[in-house]
Amino acid sequence: MSIFYSWKKLSLTFVSLILLMGVLAACGDGDSETGGESSGDKVIKLGGLFDESGATGDVGAPYAEGERAFFENLNSKGGIDGYKVDFIGEDYAYDTSRAQQVYQGLRDRHEVVAVLGWGTADTEALRKQIINDKIPFFSASYSENLKDTGNESGYNYLTAASYSDQGRAILDWIEENHKGESPARVALVYHKGHPFSESPIQDIKDYAKENLDGVVEITPDVLIELGDTDPLTTLQSWSRSNEEPDYTIINYTWGQTRNVVRDAKSLGWKTQFMGLNWTAGEGLIPAGADNQQWVDVLDGFIGVVTHAFPTEDLPGMEPIVEYLDSKGKTVEDINQKFVQGWATASIMAEAMKIAIAETDGDVTGTDMKAAIESIQDFELHGLGADVSFSPDNQAGTDKIRLGQLKDGEWEIITEYFGISDK
Amino acid sequence: MKNPFVMECGNYKTSYSKDMELFRVRRVKIRMLIIVILLFLFPLFASNYVIGLATLCAIAVIGAIGLNILTGFTGQISVGVGAFLAVGGYTSAIFTTTYGLSFWISLPLAGLITAIIGGMFGIPSLRLKGLYLAIATLAAQVIILWIISSWSVTGGGAGMVLERPAIGGFSFYDQNSYYYLCLIVAVFTTIYALNLFRTRTGRAFLAVRDRDVAAQIMGINLFSYKVMSFAISSFIVGIAGALLAHYTMIVTVELYSIQVSIQYLAMILIGGLGSVFGAILGAVFITLLPVGLGYMVEYLTIFIPDAHSLLSSFREVVFGLVIILFLIFEPGGLVHIWNNIKNYFRLWPFSTKE
Repeated sequence: MSIFYSWKKLSLTFVSLILLMGVLAACGDGDSETGGESSGDKVIKLGGLFDESGATGDVGAPYAEGERAFFENLNSKGGIDGYKVDFIGEDYAYDTSRAQQVYQGLRDRHEVVAVLGWGTADTEALRKQIINDKIPFFSASYSENLKDTGNESGYNYLTAASYSDQGRAILDWIEENHKGESPARVALVYHKGHPFSESPIQDIKDYAKENLDGVVEITPDVLIELGDTDPLTTLQSWSRSNEEPDYTIINYTWGQTRNVVRDAKSLGWKTQFMGLNWTAGEGLIPAGADNQQWVDVLDGFIGVVTHAFPTEDLPGMEPIVEYLDSKGKTVEDINQKFVQGWATASIMAEAMKIAIAETDGDVTGTDMKAAIESIQDFELHGLGADVSFSPDNQAGTDKIRLGQLKDGEWEIITEYFGISDK
Repeated sequence: MKNPFVMECGNYKTSYSKDMELFRVRRVKIRMLIIVILLFLFPLFASNYVIGLATLCAIAVIGAIGLNILTGFTGQISVGVGAFLAVGGYTSAIFTTTYGLSFWISLPLAGLITAIIGGMFGIPSLRLKGLYLAIATLAAQVIILWIISSWSVTGGGAGMVLERPAIGGFSFYDQNSYYYLCLIVAVFTTIYALNLFRTRTGRAFLAVRDRDVAAQIMGINLFSYKVMSFAISSFIVGIAGALLAHYTMIVTVELYSIQVSIQYLAMILIGGLGSVFGAILGAVFITLLPVGLGYMVEYLTIFIPDAHSLLSSFREVVFGLVIILFLIFEPGGLVHIWNNIKNYFRLWPFSTKE
């Protein structure tokens, strides 16, 4: 009995401590956060929202690591014109209400001048607030909704082609490369009602109707939920009433893309499987001894590659390789999403550089907005398509490359192209 | 000297109505008043960040009290709170954004419509109990979210953008003003819930929870009281949903996942089932726990700078651990801990052991 009593006491103490900590933390003053810097340093604060442990943590963790690595590397080289970037970020585990709390902390406790964010739902949930708070936001979500320059999402910027532009570019590629009967039949596979998955669908349909009539025909939608690990039944009933498509465009992350391709192939579909940028990347084929089945199933899959693979020989890779060397790592230790995070951070750093030069270091969110909108043809040296912003254009680029899986390796099959090339 | 903690000595009740008073001791009434005044003065000495958190706490308090009426007091388990929050949020969004109605009209409408839908999903509660009812309310979660995501009026996957409420030219965009709005609603909800259990209806709820067959024999109409409990609870949850929607200024389906429902269940479990004060404590605890753990991780990264991902999972582990420890060692919840502390002082120095 006494053991139980002491256990009870111990747990009570533990719980009370946690409670006390929560209360103290909430009442604590945020200023102590900057205590780590030496007093002489000039600092500019940047916020981060990461998903490292949530539903999209598989791609979110390397992306966040890339962003952190960029600023660590930048600070180790003296920062931006003598200013160190204090990159304060937190994992919100893909929980939109948690993102809200973290964002409030970044805004009120740390008073950041801009934020590097992550998911579609949380970025869209914050877009109205960031306009009122005047804090520019780079998300890893390329939803077309964030392109609006007016009062809907006036402080959001896209650092890569929007999901809709990616879809339009794929249709253009199909138009050029399709062999066989015309029109080419294209099926769209997505989760209806999911902010990320459904985002480009209507735009892709509209583009096909307005610009590619008679060339591309969109078949009825294939609706599969993101959490549905056995899409076979849906695919089966779909193919009962529809003819097999020539092309299938998928908008999920790695895991669900694999499931769909596996089950469709098991039904004997000979379609060309394609996917937007979160379907592409090293993680599409799981590592491990028994991965040969996935190598076979996914052979020939074409994905949108917005940013470079670390194994590519590009001038932009030099600082990354140098940084990895200093950590005793190689390009084999990182993946394409790391490069994506690094490239996004480098665009933010460019904006900071402009803002510091304009304001002598007294940078606010409005200065950052002006700085971002003055960026023209910023070169990522192959890490991604060059970006330009202006007050009436918040989408940095519409250009993508396409990559194809061959024997489990990604091979780039196009140069950067986009609908503006037409 | 008189022991300051001894306050119930000689407090004899001579009538039934006195026994049923909300505050049986005058000192408690004064103490409550002081706490409420302090809550209203709070923004004067707190930073914007803390006020933001306090606003989220206030909204969670409203929702948790709503759920506690259903689960804690009437004994009807519900895992559909997330969906009912969504109904409240989307109703207010549709009325204010699409139809241009004032927030002050759409707020009670959000409550009413959620009450109707909640009542509808409460209908099976006559036949279903415990786990079976939990699964039926889970169905509510799935069905409601599916309707919202497929219906064009709700903006589908992209959701809807809302404005903060305004009176004349004054907008509630400012953190302080929105905090006050939520606090006032939270205070009214608390007073309402406390009073509810002094009424015939509230006591019927308790009877249904404790022994429904006996309650029916006594003449309590099980069906109507169960549905009523669903409706009242959903009304309050709907109000919380509308307040939350106007606070975040957007509604999307992902905001109301099953995780939200579980968080609200955790609030009332950790706070204390069947206690209004418990619901308040639980709501504040669950809302602030990730913030507190975030600080802890931030502090630890000073010593282990490269272990971000490790520490972020560690946070989830601690969160889970706290819940398990609570359920094992203090099923009565925070409110029971609070009462133990009070009793300790009340009995001191005569008895300090259990």
